[in-house]
Amino acid sequence: MAPTTDMAAAAAAAIVPNDFSRVLAQRERRFAAALLAPAFLALLATTTFPLMFLVWTSAFRMDLAMPFANGFVGFENYQALLTDERFWSSLLLSLVYTASTVVLQVVIGLALALLVMDMKRGQGWFRLIAILPVVLSPAVVGMIWRTFMLAPEFGIVDFLAINAGIGSKNWLGDPLLAMVSVIAIHTWQWTPFAFMVLLASLAALPEDIYEAARLDRATAWQRFRRITLPLLRPAIVMVIIMRTMVALTAFAAIFTVTAGGPGTATEILNLYAYRKSFTELSIGYGSALAVALLIVTVIISGVLFALRRAK
Amino acid sequence: MSGRGEVRFEDIIKMHGEFAALKGVNFEIKPGEFFALLGPSGSGKSTTLRILAGLDAPTAGHVYIDGKDVTSVDARDRDIAMVFQSYALYPHMTVADNIAFPLEMANMPRAKIGPAVVDAARKVKIDHLLDRKPGQLSGGQQQRCALARAIVRKARLFLLDEPLSNLDAKLRLETRAELKKLQRSLGVTAVYVTHDQEEAMTLADRMAVFMAGEIQQVGTPAEVFAKPNSIEIAGFIGNPPMNLLPARYINGDITIGGRWLKTTAQLAGERDVIVGLRPSALRIVADGINGKVDLIEDLGDSAILDIDCSGTQIRARVNHDNVPREGDAIAIAARPQDIHLFDPTTRKRL
Amino acid sequence: MSARRVRMFALIAISLVFLLAWAFPIVWSVLNSLKTDPDVLAYPPKLIFSPTLDAYRDVLFGSGSILPNLVSSIVISVGTTIVTMLMAIPAAYALARLRFRGKKFAGFYVLATQMLPPVGIIIPYFLVLRNIGWIDTYQGIILIYLSFSLPFAIWLLVSYFEDIPFEMEEAAYLDGASRLRTLRRIIIPQVRGGIAVTVVFVFLNAWNEFLFAVVLSGNTVRPVTVAMFNFVSVEQTLWAKLAAVSVLAMLPVVALGVVAQKHIVKGLTVGAVKGGGRR
Repeated sequence: MAPTTDMAAAAAAAIVPNDFSRVLAQRERRFAAALLAPAFLALLATTTFPLMFLVWTSAFRMDLAMPFANGFVGFENYQALLTDERFWSSLLLSLVYTASTVVLQVVIGLALALLVMDMKRGQGWFRLIAILPVVLSPAVVGMIWRTFMLAPEFGIVDFLAINAGIGSKNWLGDPLLAMVSVIAIHTWQWTPFAFMVLLASLAALPEDIYEAARLDRATAWQRFRRITLPLLRPAIVMVIIMRTMVALTAFAAIFTVTAGGPGTATEILNLYAYRKSFTELSIGYGSALAVALLIVTVIISGVLFALRRAK
Repeated sequence: MSGRGEVRFEDIIKMHGEFAALKGVNFEIKPGEFFALLGPSGSGKSTTLRILAGLDAPTAGHVYIDGKDVTSVDARDRDIAMVFQSYALYPHMTVADNIAFPLEMANMPRAKIGPAVVDAARKVKIDHLLDRKPGQLSGGQQQRCALARAIVRKARLFLLDEPLSNLDAKLRLETRAELKKLQRSLGVTAVYVTHDQEEAMTLADRMAVFMAGEIQQVGTPAEVFAKPNSIEIAGFIGNPPMNLLPARYINGDITIGGRWLKTTAQLAGERDVIVGLRPSALRIVADGINGKVDLIEDLGDSAILDIDCSGTQIRARVNHDNVPREGDAIAIAARPQDIHLFDPTTRKRL
Repeated sequence: MSARRVRMFALIAISLVFLLAWAFPIVWSVLNSLKTDPDVLAYPPKLIFSPTLDAYRDVLFGSGSILPNLVSSIVISVGTTIVTMLMAIPAAYALARLRFRGKKFAGFYVLATQMLPPVGIIIPYFLVLRNIGWIDTYQGIILIYLSFSLPFAIWLLVSYFEDIPFEMEEAAYLDGASRLRTLRRIIIPQVRGGIAVTVVFVFLNAWNEFLFAVVLSGNTVRPVTVAMFNFVSVEQTLWAKLAAVSVLAMLPVVALGVVAQKHIVKGLTVGAVKGGGRR
């Protein structure tokens, strides 16, 4: 209580140290190290080491098609990248793809969650159906859309378009429509994710605050703006962060549907890095593109996490 | 294996960073004793128990069990059983498996475990629940299961960390009595942590009262009640707590509300003191400290009076046949031997 | 009709549209897999037709059977799940429970590894595996799958381990159990639910993975998601067979999804709702 006794105690502690607590702490450390070692060695080997090797590779000219020209080039790949129009357009496509899919997922997901929340019957159907797209492989999803949904005439989307008077469209052959299609497919597959997470968060909100708000004569819209939205904010931001990370590195669905085409109309940065490395076999330049993607990812996630901490 | 269960703490200090949770604790527990560690939350009583159990290591000092320094002995080698406040029952095991667990860990042969489990369960009257999972038990049954798990091993020391605090009031009173009987019949040394002074008073053979990381008093409940060592203990023990009033002491007498009271103190001269008066030690008399009854709390068999004695609030506990009415003017007094005197600066008993 | 009823019908209509939109592509694939090619290509699309299992018979037992690919998928997914769990359970326990210097950094490291774009991992990994001859091998694929399955599994499990009260371990310790025995007998049985959720997720992610698989697969190891491409080529698309393969590729994950419905929602939300900065 009195500071003098604390100091006396501290002084006594310094004089007669008991090293059993140190033994216990050390034992705990060793146990932790033993438990962590396998996982961390595996993570080092499969993430950290590849990352360092990637940065190293990006400083080389490494062309599997023309191995005779290979060699160390320093920052040359990055210089080339800055003047590479295909890089800038792929970066732009990445941002458009990410922003549009994430916004659509959150807006539709939240709206549906609010709608389903008030449903007395049929919630179970939503929960069951919403699981389906989420558990599917994006590659399979892409394949289904490319063929049975978007193929001319007998593809259902085109069939509906014809009957709606829009007429048959070349959904995957037209540059703009192809981009719209891959965005729609991604949104189709992952909106249920946002929906399920937000529905669970909504269900976790205490009911009595709504009753209190009702007694305070707040309208439904006011209750949504002033209570639901602020309380849901952490969950929404979390969904945005998670979906952004996934959208930036989306690959399988676009790869199966358009493979980046027509031309480079749907070639987001991730796909460009892949095509450069494994289709054009220009591994050094592909590595530089991958590093660029990593930098973009880090910057965007930094901004999003700052957003999360704000307020 | 089972020793006698004698405990000695020697200058135990526990630091959490800069904060001293225990500032040099010394006490002894005799074999077979029911010993309570009593104090408000954050006073260091639970830390003391954890150090005794070996779950935490002291920063300095030594712990002896049966004369052997166990400061650096692992918890599981100390031969100590413990009942946790949350009971810490293993939810995925049946009651029987829970009780059997310590025996299994001690590599007791299977054939001997079964009877031992039934025996322990019978002692706490849950032998009909052995096949249940903890989740299917009531709070009281869970508590008994935790007790059974602790007694089955016949450890030399039996630690209880607020074992009754999660029970409702009625059950707590019943269990309290049973706990005491159980400890007597087993003849085991028990160390009991509680913040409830009534629990400590009724259960313990002796108790240590903790305040701010120090033991302020060790003794039997009767001793601590009769002669509290400090103002803090005086205010902590007894319900309602002792009235503590500043007063002037002159050669064996004190003055409160303009009245002189005789004390048994042998101090010479004149000084400021804090006077301690237990509500139950105050009587209504014809001639004493004058006051007005502000409020009456009727407890059925007795009543607690809040009395305003010219600006000083004093509480008194009176018999039911003797209750005045609110607003009555009365006079109160205490016998000289019931008046406690404390030093206002050192806060110790005079 | 009152405004209230209009509103109600509107809500029901919206609900049905969305339910249909999500279910239809999957249902349609199933229907197409039971058709003949002409039926698949019919205009207008046929909802009524005489179903046949020909497509399944062909893709399973015909020439170019995808049975080996299904086996590949199973071996990869099960292998990844087992290895991941063996490593993630102890690591998650340590991160959730033990005190040691650098714990914060270790947790951050696990989190940060998830930020690496897979394409950035596969490029160097491909070069290394090519040198040691591990392309088109199970060990090669399973090893790189750890890069995404381990961090995810560790963080998911940590949240379950954190729910177990400390006293449980202390009680076991006082009862005479060693740390390892406490972990095995007391702690792990209590996180069975969490382990089940994690297993489901790791399995799903491994089964569905595509980028690594497409780069590292060959004639020996070729999961069904990659083999699917055999049925679409520039010259011709084998429509009904493609539908059948898609359904076969969906079957295990949809079954898992439906069976573990509640767990999946919990696994998805554990990061978002409870865990804050975890995922």
